[in-house]
Amino acid sequence: MAVEMRDFAPNRAIESSAEAASAVLSLQIRKRFDAADPANAAEPANKDSFELDIAAELSPGITIIFGPSGAGKTTLLECIAGLLRPDRGRIAIGNRVFFDHALKVEVHVHQRRIGYVFQDLALFPHLSVEKNIEYGIRELNPALRVEKTRTILDSFRISSLRERKPSQISGGERQRVALARSLVTDPCLLLLDEPLAALDGPTKSALVEDLRIWNAAHRIPILYVTHSREEVLALGDRVLMLQYGKIIAQGQPQKVI
Amino acid sequence: MLSAKVVPMDWQSLLLTIRLSAIVAAILFVIALPIAYWITYSRWRWKFLAEAAVGLPIVLPPTVLGFYLLVALGARSPLGHLWQSITGHTLAFTFQGLVIGSIFYSLPFAVQPFAASFASVDCRLIAASATLGASKLRTFREIILPLSKPGLVAGTALSFAHTMGEFGVVLMVGGNIPGVTRTVSIEVYDQVQALNYSAASITALVLLGISFSLLSLVYALNRRVFAAWLWK
Repeated sequence: MAVEMRDFAPNRAIESSAEAASAVLSLQIRKRFDAADPANAAEPANKDSFELDIAAELSPGITIIFGPSGAGKTTLLECIAGLLRPDRGRIAIGNRVFFDHALKVEVHVHQRRIGYVFQDLALFPHLSVEKNIEYGIRELNPALRVEKTRTILDSFRISSLRERKPSQISGGERQRVALARSLVTDPCLLLLDEPLAALDGPTKSALVEDLRIWNAAHRIPILYVTHSREEVLALGDRVLMLQYGKIIAQGQPQKVI
Repeated sequence: MLSAKVVPMDWQSLLLTIRLSAIVAAILFVIALPIAYWITYSRWRWKFLAEAAVGLPIVLPPTVLGFYLLVALGARSPLGHLWQSITGHTLAFTFQGLVIGSIFYSLPFAVQPFAASFASVDCRLIAASATLGASKLRTFREIILPLSKPGLVAGTALSFAHTMGEFGVVLMVGGNIPGVTRTVSIEVYDQVQALNYSAASITALVLLGISFSLLSLVYALNRRVFAAWLWK
């Protein structure tokens, strides 16, 4: 498969690492929803047709996707994850092409190795915390799987919950389990759809700290969707501001906000 | 008028009916799973035609369905001819023919509860499974199936109970051969025709008891409290 290589701008923090520099996320996405199409229900704020039109190059680190409801934030994440198919464009991370309309490349969602924490978390209700976390690393040999699960349970302070079902733990604990379940797979990209929306201040701060620590050790692009200004200022290395499916501003959070 | 004389129950027809229902319910469980999955998740624009075809036995007179099955299983049909060349006898008026007829007759009673329970599984869980690297088959096996247990039990119980009570299709396809194709419902019909109401009432009561128990199970599973207790 012939894949176009791009001259990516290296991130300041990783410019010495050739491997990390190849982890830049390159997005060119166009997706149109017609008003009569039931799929348009994904964007309830748009009574008329809606078009997502995004072009961006995102370096490793946390990029905040900020905008009002109906701006296309979740649609953008779903296109990147492979849950929605763009009409045109290209999605690649480093030299791994997930989608290329021109070359007719489309990697199936389960083969993309992208971590995705959904807004409602989507923990499997019939599985224990431990089984939820192991779900994405089932192909590993048992010893390695146990070791990775134990490490991530410890680092997210949820070891004591391993036998419990998601319905038997608090909202903040569920949030940590969902984050741990995505990160244990060693994703090449992490998508977070308003993961802290339902949490109180202290719980939110603790989780933000967990994410920062993890991000310091694993430099991958993290797309963090929110409509909270506080989170934009507290978390992001950079911010993309979306409105009506288009980027209307981008840069450092303090400048953009 | 009911006779005071106690007539023994014909266990042969009851055992044959239970054997038929168990075999049909087991085969339908295997056949209905992929059909229900396809009906739930396919985006094919003509899918409603397949849904209507699967649901036909609910509205079609059993004699009409039985007639078509009799023709399809007869020695002149390709299936009947193939069967005869292998086994030396026709499918019609045999227990195997009865099983095939009953599968068609009870198909919607397995497919529809299965499809309804698949559709009730949160699509976010299916998406989460995919993003965690699970194939469609693994997602079906480890997420959709376990979360559809009440619907699977309900569909299997309904197809079992529906097969137990079938009459028209059995009569058309199986006839009335004792020990081979005579089921409980035909037994009741025969007993009434012979004015043997005492025997008919016992046979009918047994059928009523089994059907009521199975339907109670189905409705109990639809109540969250029982389902939670059962799958604990």
